[in-house]
Order: sequence, then C-alpha cells, then structure tokens
Amino acid sequence: MISSARLRRAVRRDTIGVDVGAALNLIGALVRYLSLAFLFPAAIALGYGESPWPFLAAAAITAASGFALERVTRGKEQVGTREGFLVVALTWAFAAGFGCLPYLFSGEAQLGNPANAFFESMSGFTTTGSSVLTDSEALPQGLLMWRQFTQWLGGMGIIVLALAVLPRLRVGGRQLFESEVPGPEVERLATSIRETARRLWVVYIALTGVLAALLYGYAVAGVDERMSLYDAVAHAFTTMPTGGFSPQRESLAAFGAATQWTVIVFMVVAGTNFALLYAVLVRQRARSLLRDEEFRVYLALVAVASFVIVAELITEGILEGEAAVRHGLFQAVSMLTTTGYASVDFNEWTTLAAVGLVGLMFIGGSAGSTAGSIKVVRHLLIGKSLRRELDVAVHPDVISPLRFSGRPVDEKTLRAVIAFVLLYVGLFAAGALVLTIDAAIGDQVVTPFEAIAAAATTLGNVGPGFGFAGPFGSFEPFSDFSKAVMIVLMWLGRLEIVPVLVLFTRRYWRA
Amino acid sequence: MKIVVIGAGQVGSTVVEALHDEHELTVIDLDGSRLGPLSYRHDISTIEGNGATRSVLLEAGIKEADLLIACSSRDEPNLIAAMLAKKLNPRIRAVVRATEVEYLEAWHERQLDVDLVVSSEIETAYAVSRILGVPAARQTDVFAEGQVQIVEFDVEAGAGNHAVIGRQLREARIPADSKVASIIRGDSAIVPRGAESIEPGDRVIVIGSPRAAQEWSSIIAGDRPRLDDVVIYGGGRIGIAVAEHLIRQNIRVRMIESDRDRARLVAEKLPEARVFHATGVDPDFLERERIGQSRAAIFAMRDDAKNHYAATLARIHGVGFTIAIVHEPISIEVFEQAGVDVAVNPRQLTAEELVRFAHDPRTQQVAMLEGDRYEVLDVTVRAESELVNTRFRDLPMTGALIGAIVRNGKAIFPHGDDVLLPGDRVIVFTEARRAAEVEQAL
Repeated sequence: MISSARLRRAVRRDTIGVDVGAALNLIGALVRYLSLAFLFPAAIALGYGESPWPFLAAAAITAASGFALERVTRGKEQVGTREGFLVVALTWAFAAGFGCLPYLFSGEAQLGNPANAFFESMSGFTTTGSSVLTDSEALPQGLLMWRQFTQWLGGMGIIVLALAVLPRLRVGGRQLFESEVPGPEVERLATSIRETARRLWVVYIALTGVLAALLYGYAVAGVDERMSLYDAVAHAFTTMPTGGFSPQRESLAAFGAATQWTVIVFMVVAGTNFALLYAVLVRQRARSLLRDEEFRVYLALVAVASFVIVAELITEGILEGEAAVRHGLFQAVSMLTTTGYASVDFNEWTTLAAVGLVGLMFIGGSAGSTAGSIKVVRHLLIGKSLRRELDVAVHPDVISPLRFSGRPVDEKTLRAVIAFVLLYVGLFAAGALVLTIDAAIGDQVVTPFEAIAAAATTLGNVGPGFGFAGPFGSFEPFSDFSKAVMIVLMWLGRLEIVPVLVLFTRRYWRA
Repeated sequence: MKIVVIGAGQVGSTVVEALHDEHELTVIDLDGSRLGPLSYRHDISTIEGNGATRSVLLEAGIKEADLLIACSSRDEPNLIAAMLAKKLNPRIRAVVRATEVEYLEAWHERQLDVDLVVSSEIETAYAVSRILGVPAARQTDVFAEGQVQIVEFDVEAGAGNHAVIGRQLREARIPADSKVASIIRGDSAIVPRGAESIEPGDRVIVIGSPRAAQEWSSIIAGDRPRLDDVVIYGGGRIGIAVAEHLIRQNIRVRMIESDRDRARLVAEKLPEARVFHATGVDPDFLERERIGQSRAAIFAMRDDAKNHYAATLARIHGVGFTIAIVHEPISIEVFEQAGVDVAVNPRQLTAEELVRFAHDPRTQQVAMLEGDRYEVLDVTVRAESELVNTRFRDLPMTGALIGAIVRNGKAIFPHGDDVLLPGDRVIVFTEARRAAEVEQAL
C-alpha cells in the first residue's frame, strides 16, 4: 500500500513540468520593487498641490501583494529557463494590472471603467501609446506624469532594469533577458548579462536626460513658448521608449517646429540598436554605425518612407515647403519607429498617405532598440532568405549561409525569424477580424480600415489608429471586449509573441 | 653544417634526401620503423623518441647543431621543439612546418620565436596560383591603414609583361605609385638601381598603393589568358587555402564538398565562393551546374583515388585544365598517365621550401621581409631632421628606400621632386644594419 501511494505521488509530481511556485516567487519580488515606481508621480502630485494618495495607496497594495506572493511561495527561489517564459509574461501582465490602480483610485471619470484603466496601463508599459482618454489635459499633473513614466519603465524593460539592480537575478538571467529584449539575437555588451543590462539602462537614461535638457532649453531660450520643464521631461519619457503618450491633447502638434525636429531625431535614435548606440557613444566607435547593415537599411527605410509621404503631401497640395517635409518626416518616423506621436492630424490626409502610414507600422525599428513591431533585421533576413530560395530553385546543391553585417546567420535563428513573422501577421489578421466582427455585433461604426489599423497599431505597439481612434482621437468608443483583445495584442507585441504564446501550449506545461 | 631533423615522414625523407650529401644529419622520429629504411639508404644518425622533449633534443646534440628542421606532421610538437632548441642553443636557427594558418600569422607578426614557418597549405596555394598564371603575392605587409602595401612576387620563367620584365628599370613601365624595393636573384639581393632589371626566376619586393600591387600582379602574370572561373573539389584545408588565394586575385571560385557540415563551414568562411554540397562524381550535378564550362578544376580531396576518378570525369565533361593535389608520391605518375595536366605534391613543396632555407646559411634573404636582413620602418620625420625640405632625388642613398609618405593621413608615393616635410610619416624599406642610422637621420 505504501509503495502504491508513493507511486501515485510520484506520478502526480511529474504531471506538471513548470515550477509555478518559483516563478510566482520571483514575480512577487519584481512586483514588490515595482511599488517604488509610484513614489515618483506621488512627488509630482505633491509638487502640484494634488493628492498623492492614489499613488501611495497603489504603492502600498503593490508592495503588500508582492510581499504576500513571495511569502506564500517561500523556499522556491530558484527559477530555471523553463519558468523564464512564465515570469516574463506574467510580470508584464502584473505590472499593467498594478499600474492601473492610480487611474482607478483617482476618481477620474475618463478612467473609471476598469477596462479603460487597464487598457491605458497596458498601453503605457508596452510603450504603445494608444489612449482611451478623450481629454487628457483634464487629468491632474501627477496622473499624467504616471502615464508617461510607465512608458519610460516599459521601454528598456522592467526585467532588464531588475537584472541590472536586483542581486537575486544574478543566475539564470539570460533567458529572462532574451525574452524581453526585442530582436532575434541579443548582442552582449559585456561578459555578464547583469553588466549588459546596466549599460543599456545607462545609455537609455543618458539619452532621456539629453532630450529633456534640450527641450527644456527651448523653453528657457524662448524657442518654443508652449514648452515647459514638465512637458520636456514628460516627452523625453515617451520619446526614448518609442512610447507616444503625451500630456497634450494634440500630441506634438502643440509644439513648435524646433521641438518637432528634435523629436524626429530622437525617435530615430530610439529606434536604433542600443548596443550600437553604446559602441558609438561610449566606446566612440562612430564607424560601427555605418558598418552595421541593419542601421543602414533602417535609415534607408526612413528616407524612402518619408520621401513618399512628403511627395504625396506636396503633390496633393495638403502642405508645402518646410512644413510638408517636417510633417511628412515626423509622421513617417513616428510610425516606423512605433512611437506614435503626431505633429498634425494625419487622419485628414489622403488614402495613399494613410495606407502608407499603416504599412510603416509593420516595419518597426532595429533589433535591440525600444521600438516594437517586426523590426528591420527580420525584414532583412526574410528578404535574403527569399532571394536564397530563388537561388536554390535553380541550384539545388548550393550551400549559401545567410549573412548579416558580414556574419553568418545560423539556420535555427532564421527559422525562428520566419516563424515570428508568420505569427505576427497571423495574430494581426486574427485581431483585425475579431475587432471587425465585434464592431459589427455592437453598434459602433468601425470601418474595416480602422479595424485593421487598430490591430496593427496595438500589436506593433505604435499608438494612434485611424478614424475616431486617430492621433488626436481616443480608443474609448471601442467595446470592452475589443479593448480586451487589444490589451492582449499589446502584451503579445511587446514581448515579441513567443514568451506569451508558449504558455498556451501543452508542451510547455508538461514535464 | 650539423642539422637536426624532426619527423621522418614524407617531408622529412625528402629533406634528408636533399641534404644528406653535404651536411651532418640527425633524424628524430617517434616511429622507429620509419627511421630504419632511411638510415640504411643514407649516412645519417637516427634517434627514436619524442623530438619535442629536452632529453631527446640534447641526445641529438642540439647544443652543437646549426639548424633545426621540425617537419613532423603535427604543428605543436614542431613548435615546442623549435622553441626548446632556441633556448638550449641560442645560436641555432629553427625552421618549422605548420599547417595551421594561425601559427603562420603569429610568426609574421613576430610572436613566435622561430626563423621560418612553412605551411603546406600556403605553399600549395602559391603553387596552384602560379600554375594557373595568376601569381599571388607570396607575402603582403600592410602599412598606414592599408594605404601602403609591401608585396613579394615570384617571377616565373617564360612569363611576365615584357614592358617591365627583362628591361632596365629606368626604361621599364612600372605602375604609378609603386617602387621596386629589392630584387632577389639566387642567394643575393640586388639594389634596384636604374640599370638593373627584373629577370624571370627572380623574386621581387614592391612597395606601392593597393591598386599598384594589383597592377604588379598582372605584370607578373604577363599576357597569359586570364582565368575567370575555377572549380575546386574538396573543402579541406588545402582547398580553402587555394580558394582564398584565387579569390584574392578576383577569380570566381566554385567549390564542391561532399560533407554537408564541412560545406556549410566553408561557405561561412568564404563568402565570395559558391559552395555546393555534392560528391562531384554525379553526372547530373556536373551537367546541371555546367561544371564543364569552367576553365580549370583543382582536385583537393583527401583521397588520391577519388581525385583521380573525379578528374577523369571532369575532363570528359569538358573541363580544359586539371590540377590534382596528390598525397602519395606514386600518384604523380598515375595522374600524369591519366591525362591530368599538373600534379602538385604539398609535402614535396614543403620539403623544398625547408631545404631552400637550409642550403646556405646566408639564405635568410629568401625569407626576406620576415628574416632579419631587411626591415620596414614606419617613422615620423622630426622637425630638426637634416633631411627636412630635401628633394627626394637628393636624398643620400644609404641602402634605404622611402616607399611612401603619409601626410595628413593620406599616402603619397613620392617622386624625385617632392620634398620631405616635418611631421611626415615615412615608410622606409632598409637593410637591417642600417635601420638605426636611417631612424636617426629622420
């Protein structure tokens, strides 16, 4: 009898192959540290004479939940590579969940609906920038700054940040790191993941600081009278992570030409591989910039996309001169890098311009940048692989490894890239379909193009859509169900699909 | 001269055969059965043992020896033996056979304390490119971020552009931006004054721009028809070395390798080559890829019999010129019988190169640039130098040649009327004993 009981226990233990307790333990620790983030908007609120309580209450609940989670799962501090997926996926869901508490506690009518609050929070952490707000300027300054701050935290990644500062993540961090940092292959800046994470954050913080200082300089020098210290910081917080939230209802259209040009440059920088930026800025290797194949193609894409949009604007007589170049470039860069700012209401542009902008949402910046979407390197590799297929059709015995920046790419990586793009396109199509069907069931007026744009913009972590969800509009009119779909799309998009999707496979949970 | 030879394989035997008449030889090998026949045939002493150990080297009389030739088939024991020998006897000169190109490179950069490293792969590649009429530079040294090259060429008998080869230098049409630094004929180096000329069989050293180096390459090749498409069978080390040489001469290379992983490796290493995963003896493949249209095919597979078969098949398919890399000496006759145009024996080539060094103590000139007879200096001209503002034609000739000057980051190849300015970086080709003198003058 004893032996059969043992056998039964042994059998039961083997049925699940993921140590959920260990994963939750780590998530608890991460959530506990996340509670510190609420102190920043609380300070801002105090500074503006607003109530800091929504933030302090959120901080207390977050810290208590994290602590409780850690307590319940005590003794399971070791996570393996398999648990990494669960940790990454759930940490982001939890961050968005706790991050929406201040919106709920503030008593703000625009965010009172939990679906709206969660949407706004997920859009923040995933650096999407789609908003359900209809009048952002009515919100208190503290709450607006929290929105901006969530994007900044999400940009370089909360787990990368944790890797840089938390001592307990010294072991097994590679898996977590690779799941969070976008792109097919992670370039290490140092021998240890921890030091790599640190250096990435240093570059990120430094660039944010430079942009904030520049923008504030425009305010001090009187170049841009709408700019203030608050706006300078707020927009630096959402430019570097290619986020796109703005405290201004009219996004970047509220500011002058100098600010817009500056933001164009920094959006391009934010869409560049940060490992490359590190080489250029810290190691002073400016040449590695031009030697990098992805960066060259990225710049070429920016140039071509902007040229098409600008040409369309001028020939259609929508804008002319410097304004046409500036607005064309701004919108093209904003969509391509998945930032999602607008310097003008492009909703009113022509169909060609609109379709072009939605197309750019599928490019995304470089691997290892803060941009979302498919990314230039994957487009490049797929293009090369298709060219090779044509070669192999004629010469079946030829062996020609793909090369990227001169280095050979192994076939496994290539297969993962192709799988990713197929998943991406499939999820986009499914998302667009569900949004269209949901709109048809309800009474909303959503055109197919608007549904497609909404799916593309949320999965690509871009921000604005078209129609009522345009750059100066709001996602509020979508049904709660549609919002839930888009929340999932944002979540999938930020983590590059695989770490989330594996959780829905049986093989992941089996021993 | 007392010479210690390590390794009694094919290379060692060839070396012994060439040197036993004039010199006192001691041969070391791990395998006693190889030493027996050798010592019956020639008057040499033999030691059975590990040549990379101190005791065996001492037993072989390394302290009294003048030269060590370490030519076993394994690189590391050869290198260890050479380094031990140098420590035990600082007077000795050591020559090493190494297959790994990395060791050759390390030696070029003076990180290995031996007098000469000979690589079978590289020697084979030189030989093949000479046979194909696309003489590759024996050695290229690069200065000033690649703007200045110093290149060493072998001038084949019966080849070469007659506007340059066989003419007095003052009349020869030497490519712009280049200078002849030295001509090596037999055992002596000739200072290239206007009345001298480059003759077939010489080895020339040239300083010039990368483009001029290319032009020199075609001058050395002469007006032989240029190859543009070569097929190499076998992606082993020799195959890769040959491919690299031909690619550097802008020849299109296709390579056939029967092992998939090896083929992938070769394709990664040689982006400019077209690599096929095939046996090379499948008629459908040969037909599909139009192998018969190649000008030449090189058979560098590991097995002589396979090379033989593949070469015959390639000839049937219409390949015009075939070169076989052979591993067994007897195969040379087999290949010639079968109609293969040239058979190249890497071990033979290696042995010849090793023997060249041994023939005459002064033959360090053969290993010109790397030896210590000549040096290339890269110095910046001081403002107080007496030579500042002197025209080049008036500079005193002290066995030194200014090949190029780097002014504001750009390389200039000076003519007689140019003057030297303070701050110029000059690339000087000079005899080693004059190096200090030259450096001081600048």
